[in-house]
Amino acid sequence: MSGLAESGFLVLSGALLAVGLFGILTRRNFVLLLIAIEIAMNAAILNFVYFAAFAPTSASGLAGQSTAVVLVGFAATEVAVGLAIVLALNRAKGTINVAEATELKL
Amino acid sequence: MSLEELAFLVLAVVAVLTGTAALLVRELVHTILWIAVFFVDLAFLYFLLDAPFLGVLQLGVYAGAVTVLLLFGIMVTRKRIFSREAATGVGPAPVALALLTFVFLIATLGELPASEAAPQSYDPSALSATLFSVYGPWVLLLGIIMLASVSGAIYLVREGRE
Repeated sequence: MSGLAESGFLVLSGALLAVGLFGILTRRNFVLLLIAIEIAMNAAILNFVYFAAFAPTSASGLAGQSTAVVLVGFAATEVAVGLAIVLALNRAKGTINVAEATELKL
Repeated sequence: MSLEELAFLVLAVVAVLTGTAALLVRELVHTILWIAVFFVDLAFLYFLLDAPFLGVLQLGVYAGAVTVLLLFGIMVTRKRIFSREAATGVGPAPVALALLTFVFLIATLGELPASEAAPQSYDPSALSATLFSVYGPWVLLLGIIMLASVSGAIYLVREGRE
C-alpha cells in the first residue's frame, strides 16, 4: 500500500475529527454529544495505529499500538461516566438537552 | 490501484458517511445503528493496517460495549425509544469551523516524508509484552482511573442520593 492510501489515512483522520467537531458544536442531545466525542477520539486512535504501522523501528511501532490500546480503554471509561451523567441529568431535569443543564448541581 | 487501496477508499468513504449520518438522522435509535457500522468500519481499517489486536479490541470494546451502553442510555432516558429528536438547526458557523479544521489539517500534510514501505505487522504477544512491561504504569493508571470513574458513575446514578 503506497502513495494514495498513505496520506489517505491522515486525510481520513482529519475528516473524522472535523465530523466529530461538527457534532460537538451543533448537537444539543447529550448522547449525540458523547457519540461526536467518540468519533473525534477514534480519529486520534486511527492516527496512532497508522503511524505505528509505518514506524521506523519495532519499538516505536509497539509504543504506538500500546498507546492506542490504552486510549481505547480511556474512551470506554469516558462513555461510562458520560452515561452516568446522562442518567443523573435525566432524573434531575427530565431532559438530556445540554442547553438546559445550566447549573453544576443536580 | 491495488486491492488494499480500493478497500481503503471504500472503508474511508463509509467511515465519513456513517459518522456524519449518525449525527444527522432524526431517530436516535438509527444513530446507534450508524455508529455501530462506523465502529466496525474502523475495525476493518485497523485490520487493513495489519493491527489485528487493535481491530479485535475495536470490535469488542467499541462495536460491542460502547454501542450497547449508548443504546442503554437512550432506552432509559426516553419514554418511547423510537422518538424523534426535536429539529435542531445547523447554523453556518459550526459547519465552517469544522471545514476550516479539516482544510488546516490537510494543508499540513505536505510536509510529511513519503515512504513506500508496507505496513508493519506486530505479533499480539510482542504487543502485550511491551504493553505490560514498558507501558505497565500506563495500564496501572488506566486501571485506577477506570475504578475511580466506575465508582463515580455508581455514585451518580444511585437512588436516594443526598
